[in-house]
Amino acid sequence: MAKRLLTYENAVRWAPLLVLLALMLLFTAINPAFLTERNLARIAIAAAPALMVAVGVTFIIIMGSIDLSMEGSISLTAVLFCFAFVQFGGTLAAGAWLAVPLILLAGAGIGLVNGLVHVRLRIPSFMASLAIGFVCTGAAILVTGGDIVKIDDDVFRALLTWRILGFPLMVYVAALGVVVAWVILSHTRFGRHLYAVGGGEELAHASGVNVGRVRLVGFVLAGLFYAVAAILQVAKLGQAESVTGANFMFLSITSTVVGGVALWGGIGGAWNTLVGVLIVFVINNGMVVIGLPDYVQNGMLGVLVIIAVILSTDRRSISFVK
Amino acid sequence: MYELKGIDKKFGGVHALKHVDFHVKRGEIVGLVGENGAGKSTLMKVIYGAYQPDSGQILMDGKPVRFANPRQAMDQGIGMVFQEQSLIPNLSVMENIFLGNEKQFTRAGLFDWAKMAEAARHQLAKVRLDVDPRAPTSGLSFAQRQLVELAKVLTLEERIEGDLVILLDEPTSVLSEDEVKLLFKLVRELTNRASFIFVSHRMDEVMELSDRIYVMKDGAVVDVVARGQSTVEAIQHTMVGRSIDNEYYRETRQKPFDPKTRLVELDRVSLPGRIKDVSLTLHAGEVLCLVGTEGSGREAIMRTVFGMLSPLSGSVRLKGEPVQRPTPRHAVERGVGYVPRERKVEGIVAGMTIYENMTLSQMGRYATAGVLGTGAERRLARDWIKRMSIKAPSENADCGNLSGGNQQKVVLSKWRSGGSDIMLLDHPTRGLDIGAKQDVYTMVRDMSDDGVGIILAADTLEEAIGLSHTIIVLKDGAVQKTFDCTPGRKPTMYDLLHAML
Amino acid sequence: MTFQRLKSHLPWITLLVLVAVVGAVDPTFLRPVNLLGLAGDIVPLFIMALGLTFAIYIGGIDLSAQSMANMITVMASLYLSSLGLWVAPLCIAVGFLLGTVSGYFTTRQFVPSFISTLAVGGVCFSMAQWLSGNRALNMDATQRDALFGWMIGRTGIIPNELFIAVGLLAICLFIERRTTLGRALKAVGAGELAAAASGLNVGRFKILAFAISGALAAVAGLLFSVKLSGGAPTIANGFLLPAIVAVLVGGTPLTGGVGGVLNTAIGTLIVAVIRSSMLYFGIEATQQQMVFGLVLIVAIALTIDRSKLRLVK
Repeated sequence: MAKRLLTYENAVRWAPLLVLLALMLLFTAINPAFLTERNLARIAIAAAPALMVAVGVTFIIIMGSIDLSMEGSISLTAVLFCFAFVQFGGTLAAGAWLAVPLILLAGAGIGLVNGLVHVRLRIPSFMASLAIGFVCTGAAILVTGGDIVKIDDDVFRALLTWRILGFPLMVYVAALGVVVAWVILSHTRFGRHLYAVGGGEELAHASGVNVGRVRLVGFVLAGLFYAVAAILQVAKLGQAESVTGANFMFLSITSTVVGGVALWGGIGGAWNTLVGVLIVFVINNGMVVIGLPDYVQNGMLGVLVIIAVILSTDRRSISFVK
Repeated sequence: MYELKGIDKKFGGVHALKHVDFHVKRGEIVGLVGENGAGKSTLMKVIYGAYQPDSGQILMDGKPVRFANPRQAMDQGIGMVFQEQSLIPNLSVMENIFLGNEKQFTRAGLFDWAKMAEAARHQLAKVRLDVDPRAPTSGLSFAQRQLVELAKVLTLEERIEGDLVILLDEPTSVLSEDEVKLLFKLVRELTNRASFIFVSHRMDEVMELSDRIYVMKDGAVVDVVARGQSTVEAIQHTMVGRSIDNEYYRETRQKPFDPKTRLVELDRVSLPGRIKDVSLTLHAGEVLCLVGTEGSGREAIMRTVFGMLSPLSGSVRLKGEPVQRPTPRHAVERGVGYVPRERKVEGIVAGMTIYENMTLSQMGRYATAGVLGTGAERRLARDWIKRMSIKAPSENADCGNLSGGNQQKVVLSKWRSGGSDIMLLDHPTRGLDIGAKQDVYTMVRDMSDDGVGIILAADTLEEAIGLSHTIIVLKDGAVQKTFDCTPGRKPTMYDLLHAML
Repeated sequence: MTFQRLKSHLPWITLLVLVAVVGAVDPTFLRPVNLLGLAGDIVPLFIMALGLTFAIYIGGIDLSAQSMANMITVMASLYLSSLGLWVAPLCIAVGFLLGTVSGYFTTRQFVPSFISTLAVGGVCFSMAQWLSGNRALNMDATQRDALFGWMIGRTGIIPNELFIAVGLLAICLFIERRTTLGRALKAVGAGELAAAASGLNVGRFKILAFAISGALAAVAGLLFSVKLSGGAPTIANGFLLPAIVAVLVGGTPLTGGVGGVLNTAIGTLIVAVIRSSMLYFGIEATQQQMVFGLVLIVAIALTIDRSKLRLVK
């Protein structure tokens, strides 16, 4: 049997990457300042927290569910992180590093609640997570009383300020996050079960996969990655408030889908998400470089996500959609 | 080594398995045949643990066992190769083979893909399939997937100490002749390790492969035939044989149809999938029955007439006029009514009242400028509740709470009250009790008297023969043979079976 | 079975119990002026929830309602001076059109409604930012009073918004109960496949449901901007959650097919009572979002028809 190059799988795998390269060529052609180390570092810094959010939601989308809780989840963990950081001494040099594992745990906990509401109460994930997201935002407002919490620690801010090969440390942290996600998705039993659930939940169940537990762990992992995103976002801004997570929902889902992770589940992976996030941020950055106002961003995301979903939908397999 | 003793299974009022005795010896290949609805699939589900019998015993090596789910049956060495593909398309071949059992291949939580590929190759070698175990399953052909399913079940060889029982559900339905030969060769070779239960519609294949054949009818085992002891014809007779009462299908009321009025004409219609060059004509007052196995294209043809599917080529004419852009709306306007097989899903809207259901297809007639005249709707519903003797407290009753027969009457009323004179009946008596079935048969005759043309997909062959003027036998999406069914000249069931298989 | 029968009565019983409890704690709460004022304040939210009801009734969701209202406040403030009274039909037409766009992508292109409406919401947000130059806009007070003042005054002790609300409710109720559109929407929500097999043009009715949702979100935005005499791209943030809560606690489940606009009216009143009771019980406004989030989960869990969900994804 001759190997066919132009299969659906290959298209999904390579099309987003080609789009990314084409975009970079296009913007460089319009304005050579695009392809400078400084500008690329700028894109990377902007993208790092969003990348972690997108990687988190990738786990969920691969199993055919959706998570809309990230905005609240990030706001709450970011705020809690700042409080804990200050509480434990205000500098990494003292005991403030304790805030990191604590907040990762908190993120995982939020994910767990999310998963429990979805799996145990049998509520569709988009609504369960939306509600949890609202609760978390509410909780963030509650603990801050609407104020901004600042962190002023040079050691912690090294995530942003300490540059290796021109890119700040947080970019490497995010890259590590992608690698970890890739290993989980591609090389562990749990990761492959996510694909199995996304590809055919009933079939997976019939083969002895504990679907409920896979879903739960998926949400816990997503929550964990949102917490990482929150920490990076705090490192980037030096502060947190109840709207720290705003806009991440739309951004991360769009990026994931644009990268080729199918909204129906089962297709795509960590690399797709990476490429998707880069596409979105390259477009954002490119628009600024060629002089378009930044408020075009949301509209562009809207158009992108619809195009991506339409392109990735296998029409033969759907009867109707709500 | 595997034995069922006096198994009974009921679903509500339906006695699906009646005191079934069944056994498989070590290394034996046992065939299981019967018409649709004879109880084969229920029996299989009991065997592989999806259903638990209401009474009776399951014995393995003489010891009674109970399976709460398929997983437990699997742990005792009973595996099922499903007819509908049960592989997950986005996973690789090897992942599918070992899904649910991957633990053996992980080291420190990570997969050793090479080891898994090696093990998968070993399994694939058992079924003589040479594909890359790392390839995505979606890229395989149907035949290859069938073999991968078998390979998946055969992993039981390594996992289970004792003997295996493997069920093959219609494994040849999508295979070519050569592939069937290969599969049979494999199965025979594997009998040194496993016993097989082989379920198929293709009688000649069952005869060729099986050591013994169980024949089922109406939920009971009616005959057990050893190899070489019977002929295809004799078995088919046992499968369907029963004395037919002419009155049961209201045959005395069957009148000749009007050959001059053509209601539906399909001319060399092809559809995506498997329908090729189907032509047929439905006349006023005619009952035209489509006969064929599952997947032979009966439903697709009905949906084409109803405008839910568009032909790739060929033409559809309704009452002489060609259909340009088929939609259900358009078909309904031309007088087509559709009684779908899935009554509760597509027939009625549960949660809506009887009168709302009855006027759903013809709301325009009860509305002026989009505003409904509920009074007229209710009058219509009351009228038809009386005419069809629908048992319901009132026209305001929720359709979801009615019995199956009464729901079907509501669906029929919906179309008949709107004046539909082309009726598409897809298994109209499925799941109904005898009384309700007879009501439907009477209605079919009433409609014919009114000059309505009916395209029918019957629940059983008897029903098809009893009700229709014309029978078209479909096989693999093409018209195989057409039978004239004028009373007195009706074909026999096994005439039909011959053409079908 | 008893719970199933009780279920359809749960919303108004909840409402009465809540009113009684708050009234017992603080009798002034029950004064007509107070109750009417309470109802009047929640009218923009109610109108948005009314629209959402249509989307949820057919088993979908409209997450663009809030962004839509935001954008409309900006448009209304911006074009009031040049268009005068014509700004109202413009706003409603824009809402209807964008709702149609969501509906089109959902029904014809198989984009799930929560994504298509989220996307349209993103477009709305961009437009609002672009039109407003990302700042708050003010209406000319005299022109507003002259043209739209009737919307926000009082007649006797009754706030005029209530008349608008009752009027819209009556229209929607009429559509739902007495028109072919309403009947078709019910059929689509309760059994989409059966509706299609009855020859209904299901896609068109679904698109219409989203369009109505968009149009009513626009009306909500318009009323809100008149009330505040201005607009901004984020001014109506905080509407979406209580609006969804109002629909769901009213008894229209996420799975659609039952409930309706009258239920949403009751649901909105429940939201209003919960809001004000939180004040009485000393729960700060900042905590409301949390409470509503939890109420939302409980409401979904109680109302959703799980038999309609083969797989819960």
